Amino acid sequence: MLHYGRIWLASVRYSIVRTMMFRGDFIVWSLVELFWMSVNLLLISVIYRHTDSVAGWNKYEMMLLVGTSMLIQRFLMGFFWSSIFEMGRNVRSGNFDFFLAQPGNIMFMATTRKLDPDGLANSIIAIGIVVYAANQLGLQPGVLDVTLYALMVFCGLVIHYSILVMSISLVFWLTSAHGVEGTYFTLTEFSRLPREAFKGLVSQVMFVWLLPVVVVSNAPARTLLDRFEFSWKWTLGPFLFAAAWFALAVFVFQRGLRRYTSASS
Amino acid sequence: MLSALDKYRHAFLVGLQSNLIYRWNFAVRGFFSLFHLAVVFILWGAAFAGTRSIGGFDLRQTLTYFITLLVLQFFVSAFNEDYQISEEIRNGLINQFLLKPINYFLYRFSIFVAARLVSGALVILPLLVALPFVHDVLTFPFEGWRIALGLPAIFMSAMIQFTIAYCFGMLTFWFLEIQGFVILSMAIEAVLGGQIFPLDLMSADIFAGSMLLPYPYQMYFPAAILTGRFGFEEAIWCLGIQACWVALLVMISRALWARGLRRHTAVGG
Repeated sequence: MLHYGRIWLASVRYSIVRTMMFRGDFIVWSLVELFWMSVNLLLISVIYRHTDSVAGWNKYEMMLLVGTSMLIQRFLMGFFWSSIFEMGRNVRSGNFDFFLAQPGNIMFMATTRKLDPDGLANSIIAIGIVVYAANQLGLQPGVLDVTLYALMVFCGLVIHYSILVMSISLVFWLTSAHGVEGTYFTLTEFSRLPREAFKGLVSQVMFVWLLPVVVVSNAPARTLLDRFEFSWKWTLGPFLFAAAWFALAVFVFQRGLRRYTSASS
Repeated sequence: MLSALDKYRHAFLVGLQSNLIYRWNFAVRGFFSLFHLAVVFILWGAAFAGTRSIGGFDLRQTLTYFITLLVLQFFVSAFNEDYQISEEIRNGLINQFLLKPINYFLYRFSIFVAARLVSGALVILPLLVALPFVHDVLTFPFEGWRIALGLPAIFMSAMIQFTIAYCFGMLTFWFLEIQGFVILSMAIEAVLGGQIFPLDLMSADIFAGSMLLPYPYQMYFPAAILTGRFGFEEAIWCLGIQACWVALLVMISRALWARGLRRHTAVGG
């Protein structure tokens, strides 16, 4: 464990030094992420110009939900996105060989090599959106609520990471992952919707429980919104989902790895 | 004249073959676009729960707009042309085009048309799967002029999509990494192209201002004509603006190519 901690810290140091070298790039990417976040807020603003409630959620409740979803996604972008995205290209080009020779678990080495400080910088904006929305709603969460919120955000991060690793692992079968990484972004769109918007058994089973991206953002948002009910579904659900999806991601990655044949010149 | 165009026919055929290699990628992308459609149905279904009309359109009209947009996306969008052009410049692969009697813009456009034919054909499969679930919500106004104006609008949308991607690719002559610019532009396109919400739901002033930019003509405009969000006179007026943007963007892309080549250094043999 300590060994992996040291490897990860070395990657952090490398990423920060690299960011300092390409400061312009850091600013452009920070703006890119900030703009995408603004797009989501703009959608809320436009919809609530024409209606007062979406599935029983008012404008600021919705903002809190979207802010939570953004927070999880910013963490994912900051900690893992570059490494996992490059993994798809490395498998195609044969540069993935480099990871096979490294002193550690291949999935860990391949998915944690690079940090993106721009993603992490924007997580502060996402926290700001959550705090602003909570303030507008007059919420005063206790320490326990905030701790539970943080834990659930962590579970959300694990679930998003697992889905992304599985999406990109398709490259072991498809040769090119181009466009496939977009599948992850499509799935995460569900995380910005309130749970109550999912009507009908099929959509509930498919989008809420089978692909738990809805639970990922709704569970922490509910803890802050005082909508939290102590039921196993909302308390243990995110933790169980996180463990199950992580195990599935490891399985798919390992199966894919068996198909890797390199690409020598 | 025809023999001069023959080389682009070959580029088109090569483009067709190389894009068919990645048919599964397009198919996967097409399949997952149904998930995006599901998000749209769920979100707008919930938004319409308390009201019959948003921006003067009912739920069926709004969903028809998004379905039309999804189909158009596979026929006219530039997926990764900017990145491909950027790679060719960065890796020196464009050097071969400098020595041959071929226009790089037309060569890339031939490949773009081939790629969109493949992605457009492949999106039909997931659409057929989705049709039993969505055919009840589809509601198109049956007016002949909508087709007559919609088709040239779609063609010019593809031209705008391609030329913007081409111009971003050209930026590689000045910047080593263009990915940041491309993603930033994608975000602007997503909003002002009407992919996030129909632009007419914004306030009238902002909507009128946005229609002067090239972005609404990338996707929103043809979808708005076909789904009844535009009247005849508005459509004619905007078609003129769209044609101006096509001409302007083609000129900009030619200028960037000419200026960029002055900075370009071909190395190696």
